[in-house]
Amino acid sequence: MMLVVLLLIPLSAAGLCALLRNRLACEWVHLFAASAVFGVGLAVAVQVWRGETLDAFNELLYVDALSALLVVVITLLGAIAAVYAVGYLRAEGETRTRRFFGLFQVFLFTMLLAVTTNNLGLMWVAVEGTTLATVFLVNLHNTRTSVEAAYKYLILSSMGIALAFIGTALMYSTGSAQAGERAVDWTVLREAASSLNPQVVRLAFVFILIGYGTKAGLAPMHTWLPDAHSEAPAPISALMSGVLLNVGLYALLRFKTITDAAVGAEFASDLLLGIGLLSLAVAAVFLLTQRNYKRMLAYSSVEHMGIIALGLGFGGYWGVLGALLHLVGHALAKSLLFILSGSVLLKFHTTEMRGVRGLLRATPGVGGAFLAGTLALLGMPPFSLFISEFLIVRAGLGSRAPWLAGIALALLVIVFGAMLANVNRMLYTAPVETPPTAPAPSANMRWALAPLAINFTLLAVFGLMMPTAVMDALNQVVHVLGI
Amino acid sequence: MPVNLFTNLTNLLAFASLGAVFALILRNSLSGQAQMFALQSVLLALLASVVALYAQSIELFAVAVALLIVKGGVIPYVLQRAVKRIGMQPNVSPYLGIVATLVISGALIIVAYYVMAPIVASDPLPTASAIPLAFAGILVSLFVTVIRRRALTQILGFLMLENSIFLLALLTTYGVPFIVEIGVFLDVLVAVLIMEVFVYRIKENFDTLEVGQMGELKG
Repeated sequence: MMLVVLLLIPLSAAGLCALLRNRLACEWVHLFAASAVFGVGLAVAVQVWRGETLDAFNELLYVDALSALLVVVITLLGAIAAVYAVGYLRAEGETRTRRFFGLFQVFLFTMLLAVTTNNLGLMWVAVEGTTLATVFLVNLHNTRTSVEAAYKYLILSSMGIALAFIGTALMYSTGSAQAGERAVDWTVLREAASSLNPQVVRLAFVFILIGYGTKAGLAPMHTWLPDAHSEAPAPISALMSGVLLNVGLYALLRFKTITDAAVGAEFASDLLLGIGLLSLAVAAVFLLTQRNYKRMLAYSSVEHMGIIALGLGFGGYWGVLGALLHLVGHALAKSLLFILSGSVLLKFHTTEMRGVRGLLRATPGVGGAFLAGTLALLGMPPFSLFISEFLIVRAGLGSRAPWLAGIALALLVIVFGAMLANVNRMLYTAPVETPPTAPAPSANMRWALAPLAINFTLLAVFGLMMPTAVMDALNQVVHVLGI
Repeated sequence: MPVNLFTNLTNLLAFASLGAVFALILRNSLSGQAQMFALQSVLLALLASVVALYAQSIELFAVAVALLIVKGGVIPYVLQRAVKRIGMQPNVSPYLGIVATLVISGALIIVAYYVMAPIVASDPLPTASAIPLAFAGILVSLFVTVIRRRALTQILGFLMLENSIFLLALLTTYGVPFIVEIGVFLDVLVAVLIMEVFVYRIKENFDTLEVGQMGELKG
């Protein structure tokens, strides 16, 4: 029942926004739905982490500890981005607000459906749905660059995800010999894993990795990502980078547990290590020469997805725990920075770093938060990404391939230097004589940025003194992943 | 229906649907290319009905009907409408000549047989021998999408990719469960409607349908 409510809230909010003619009413529906869905999402997760499993419609919807983690990430960051979106669109003077809020809610719905369904086919439908819901959001302003970005995003993501369907069909074909029609459910496939044909499973997983890897922004399938994430309006960039990539990763994880059980953990791990290291390397190269701060944040997402893939590839308890913690930390830090990038854009009217000067003096609040967020993202203590990167590197040094951890560490140092140098130039250089100020958006935008305090608090708390309840939940997720 | 006849029929129809992808390479007019997609969809609907008849599955028959309506009727109509609305386009040569494209596509068929060998060997269904043809369709459609310059041809490549994947699922398992098929049709339909809008927006912003002309986002 709770699961049905969870999905119905954003769906009906989208419907309402399509019907309502009034902008203000639509804003309130949007805000109410986003906060209500967070409440329900949290309740669902707490119930699951206490040891119950929730299901609905004859297990068509099924939530375990891993799904619950994703539900919380989606709904929490969804609510934070929803608040900012209202302020951002007002400050920007955007008129297509009803379309924006409607699609925003559809976007939330598709992500929630993807992580709560037991049916791998339906999960595929929902993940493709996330692309379809966001493509008009990327192209909201209909500029030349955003048309290019949105078209590329639509075609490449759809093609990539089509390959994931091949993997899904193959997995179903080898499972249905034993389990019949139900072999499309991951719970059933996981039970039957030992009787699946290993050759078919291996081939299927390669397709899954390419397909859902495209959605997760892993190199070399990442080419759409910097364009789409940088052209989308800030609140949408925050959700695409901080949350949607994790949904792609989630889909990958569901198949990885089945594959691990069927053919042993080494097959999927080796592939993830290769693709993770490549993502890290590609991101490092592009971050070194980056001139656009939104693209910088986008490439940093490729980097962090690579780190998570490495953690999963190194495996073992610490590797997987590190990957999960990193997933959460990256989601918090990246959505924070993309939201702040929206306020920087409103202030300076450009996404070129060259055009942003003296950010710290011009808007101390936004500038200071941007600096702190960047430090968190780069894995500085006391924030939680320090712990998770430490855990992953530690797992790597104790794994079959310690040299990989060495290379990863070197790449991390390059990324650190490149990003910090870029951000410093934006923060400290002398401000231009007459900074082109819009009618002081920062003043009346303060309430829209206030929820970012939650991101900072959680990043610091998870880095300093992990609450036992959260640690307990993460341990359950590690267990679901077969460790 | 005797098994032999069933196997031969599915092989024939799978082969014909791969032929439609090759016909797409050969035809230059957008309207003709859209017709090839419609033809392929009709062939697939026929194939799905044959399988439905053999496996005595009412659900699969419903899928065949939905496929005929959505991919054989609605989507080709949308595409023809787009072709008409953007008007005459100057001929553009693809990144690769037709002969080279055909040679590489031929090589892709061999690759398909090689990659799918373990699947064919492990699949007990009488349709198994046609599986590599479906996978060849997937590879060639992907290839066509990559080497063509015009947005509409890319969209057709994507649609043929979708069709070939449907064919693959049909041959390996007699189709995925009903609710999934319907969800996929819905996704593809919405995707095509969105892509249609983007064809207009690209035309409006760049005054061309050549995807290669969009190159402002780099690095």
